[in-house]
Amino acid sequence: MILLLGNLLLFLVALAAAPRLGWLWQALFPGISRPVWDSQSWFALLAEHLMLALGATLIAALIGLSAAILATRPAGRALRPLLDSMFSLAQAVPPIAAIALALPLMGFGAAPTLLALVLYAALPVMRSAVAGLDAVPAAVLDAARGTGMGPGRILAQIELPLALPVIQAGLRVALVLAIATTAVGAVAGARCLGTPIVTGLANGNLSWVLQGAVFTAWLAVIADQALRLGLDPERRRSNGRLAPAR
Amino acid sequence: MIRFEGVSRRYGEQVAVDRVTLEVPRGSICVLLGESGSGKSTLMRMVNRLVEPSAGRVLVDGRDVAGAEPEALRRGIGYVIQSVGLFPHWRVGDNIATVPRLLGWDAARVARRVDVLLDLVGLDAALFRDRFPHELSGGQAQRVGLARALAADPPLLLMDEPFSALDPGTRRGLQSALREIHAETGKTILFVTHDVEEALTLADTLAVLDQGRLVAQGSSASLLQEAEKGPVRRIFGKESLAFHRLATLPASSLARPEDARQDLPMLPADASLKQALMLMLAEGSACLAIPAEGAFPGGTLHWADLVAPR
Amino acid sequence: MEPQPVAVLHATERREASAAPREATAVAVLTALAALAPFLLGFLSVAPNRLLSPRLVPLPVTTATTLCLGLFLVACLAVMLLARRAPLLNWAEAAAALALCSLVAVIGLAAREALQGASPVARAAPAAGLWVAMLLLALAAGCCAAGRSGTPRNFMALSVLGLAVLWAAGALADLSLAREAMARGGEIRLAFWQHLALAGGALFLALAVALPLSLLALRRSRVEALLMAVANGFQVIPSIALFGLLMGPLAALAAWAPALRGWGIGGIGPAPAVLGISTYLLLPLASAFLAGLRVASPAVIDAARGQGLTEGAILRQLRLPLGLGVMAGGVRVAAVQAIGLATLAALIGGGGLGALVFQGIGQLATDLILLGVLPVVALSLLADGGCAALQAALERRR
Ligand SMILES: Nc1ncnc2c1ncn2[C@@H]1O[C@H](COP(=O)(O)OP(=O)(O)O)[C@@H](O)[C@H]1O
Ligand SMILES: [Mg+2]
Repeated sequence: MILLLGNLLLFLVALAAAPRLGWLWQALFPGISRPVWDSQSWFALLAEHLMLALGATLIAALIGLSAAILATRPAGRALRPLLDSMFSLAQAVPPIAAIALALPLMGFGAAPTLLALVLYAALPVMRSAVAGLDAVPAAVLDAARGTGMGPGRILAQIELPLALPVIQAGLRVALVLAIATTAVGAVAGARCLGTPIVTGLANGNLSWVLQGAVFTAWLAVIADQALRLGLDPERRRSNGRLAPAR
Repeated sequence: MIRFEGVSRRYGEQVAVDRVTLEVPRGSICVLLGESGSGKSTLMRMVNRLVEPSAGRVLVDGRDVAGAEPEALRRGIGYVIQSVGLFPHWRVGDNIATVPRLLGWDAARVARRVDVLLDLVGLDAALFRDRFPHELSGGQAQRVGLARALAADPPLLLMDEPFSALDPGTRRGLQSALREIHAETGKTILFVTHDVEEALTLADTLAVLDQGRLVAQGSSASLLQEAEKGPVRRIFGKESLAFHRLATLPASSLARPEDARQDLPMLPADASLKQALMLMLAEGSACLAIPAEGAFPGGTLHWADLVAPR
Repeated sequence: MEPQPVAVLHATERREASAAPREATAVAVLTALAALAPFLLGFLSVAPNRLLSPRLVPLPVTTATTLCLGLFLVACLAVMLLARRAPLLNWAEAAAALALCSLVAVIGLAAREALQGASPVARAAPAAGLWVAMLLLALAAGCCAAGRSGTPRNFMALSVLGLAVLWAAGALADLSLAREAMARGGEIRLAFWQHLALAGGALFLALAVALPLSLLALRRSRVEALLMAVANGFQVIPSIALFGLLMGPLAALAAWAPALRGWGIGGIGPAPAVLGISTYLLLPLASAFLAGLRVASPAVIDAARGQGLTEGAILRQLRLPLGLGVMAGGVRVAAVQAIGLATLAALIGGGGLGALVFQGIGQLATDLILLGVLPVVALSLLADGGCAALQAALERRR
């Protein structure tokens, strides 16, 4: 927790300091005439990056979780093969390809990236939620039904709490994926921390590339750290939940 | 208390339960005995509608369960299974409180009830109330499972091979605990097992299932007397049949009316012939003294009478 | 009194009694939607030239297009019917491939009709409905294969075969995608080989690192913890950021030793891409290698040691033969990931099929984007299918 807050604070300080470190960038990249990124404020880029990635992850989590719950109900069994099939197809299409294909339909900007984000982030959430719900022991479900719990109560009080660690692991994968895909979305005109990378690459400005890359990577590490917090193995054992992805 | 009327259950081509008609009297322990796959669980699970019959009907207290709302029905019937199925993320107390909370009891009443039940199943409430299921041994977990089933004081208890996964010592402990609880509370218990010893230990009435069909029912003694042929003989085990029979006969029935010699090992008058045999083996004595009690005038039990053909 | 048996037939029982596999519903719905999509969303769009935006046009009616359209609908129906019987799922996949190919034939023939008499720069392209239908057919085929948890191999092989025949017969030549491909033949071939080299190079590099480290980690838990921590850590860093981070140091390296430039090592070019991609492959490879090396149970290893086998012999005769299937599974995951990641290499001047994609993004040219994306998808599916077959063969041999 303290580690996370410290890291976050350091990140924000670095974002604020980056435009004022002209001497550093100049020293690192002596051949570049405008080494300081000043087209947009770093905080504006961060805000847009987070809005895109978090918003998409939230939508994706809702979609993925609903699909997983549906697919694990007796009535939704028919959904299983479709989800499997979508998952393996998505594996063959890299996110950048999905963004590129959506681009002619939706135009430059955040929209194609958002679409690809939601599509790709929903899959790990769905996958892990199906795995987690499947892993709830049959005996526990039998006992729950035998004590007279209704299907809704069993889902809310037994299945979801038991599957939570596995779902959380899927959520973490989804968020990390979303942050990475958002950065790539800069290519299609989404404004985010990837923008300096893409602009820098287009203009041969390695200083911008480096700054964008550092902050993008840093953000991903922080997000990962934040979502790991809920997965503390000590806590997991003490409340007797299933371990994720065994 | 429970009446199965011509109950069948098919799974596709397979007939898991085949036209079973059976009555379980109120306050008795009825044991369903049969080999694995004979349809015991399926038959039992039709009582609380975890399985629906393909044909026939099940009556509880004279009412067809098909007319009851399944969840409400189950809250009024205790249910214990072999793999226990404690909710791993809830403490022992919360597990036991499942049904009372579903029924909307207030917190204080639930807490009192949890302690009473832990005591009833022989666990120290202070020690076990706040444990998680993974901190229990197999026997302790099943005691908690029994407490959970008894929580709302249901008149009827369904138990599906509850002790089968336990080691013999623990199993005997739980069997006697169950008998005590039964004596104390007078519940009607439908008990499934594949273990003949366990069935004979617990049963007031026995019902033997084979390939979905009810092949015999009645008291342990009558079943053992008639078990000369067919599936019942196989299920009881050909060789052990005679031994099991000893368990159903009182030792006093074969005693010779001699004056009991003081140097012989003493056998209580209400002991079975099986217990007599075990005492003979343990003491290395071919004669046992049985003291007078009630109508029985006292006598001596001889090895020769025990093994004589009857 | 004899009790009246009450016959109750339940939904669960009815489902168990019928022979339809659980895939049937999904396949039927997807295929029905696929059959409807072109009619609802349009078959063909035509643009006066490459840059103007296309408009939907009605499907030109000729004997040939009508025949192919009929074939498409019949094939869709066949998919739905065949999927109702589990043993026929393979045939349902084949029918889906037939539906796909006949739909493409429809559009190829329609494009020829529509462009008759139009200016030579006019373009005809499949409309949204067609793409949606093809996607849905692929998903339906995937559902057919989901039962045996594999890729729809029959569908893929037959589709590729059918499309190749259509291409060879010249039935597709008037589609704008085909014209674009024709015009850029050399460029596409170059990008394709570059892409393979990037992915293959990264896979090779990652194998060269992961294999010895996994062998070492087998014996030293410290090495294992470190290896897995590093491999896991890299997964968190977005690939575009990692490529960017690698450019600086490699540029500095090239500046310090200009001879390296001759080897393609520098801040811009394939080097940072290959290096970056290979770091992402460490996790799937190392975890699969470790799992594979541990397939041979401790009891078996113990027995082997007890009989005096050396560690080397245990590795060669027990661990490797028993674990090869699992290890091949890791290579499969890594190969597919490498092909996908290599698409980004073009951003940092590494070339590959991504170059076409990014060029297409710059020009907002759908055809160009597709010319980049479709080979990437085909390569991934091919790599996945190939490795899956290899894995199956290795596991069968056990
Ligand atoms: N849900 C089910 N679907 C299909 N077959 C079942 C199902 N439940 C039980 N069976 C079959 O019915 C028969 C009786 O099962 P069960 O009642 O569990 O036997 P027991 O409890 O006596 O071991 C078995 O052959 C079993 O395979
Ligand atoms: Mg059973």
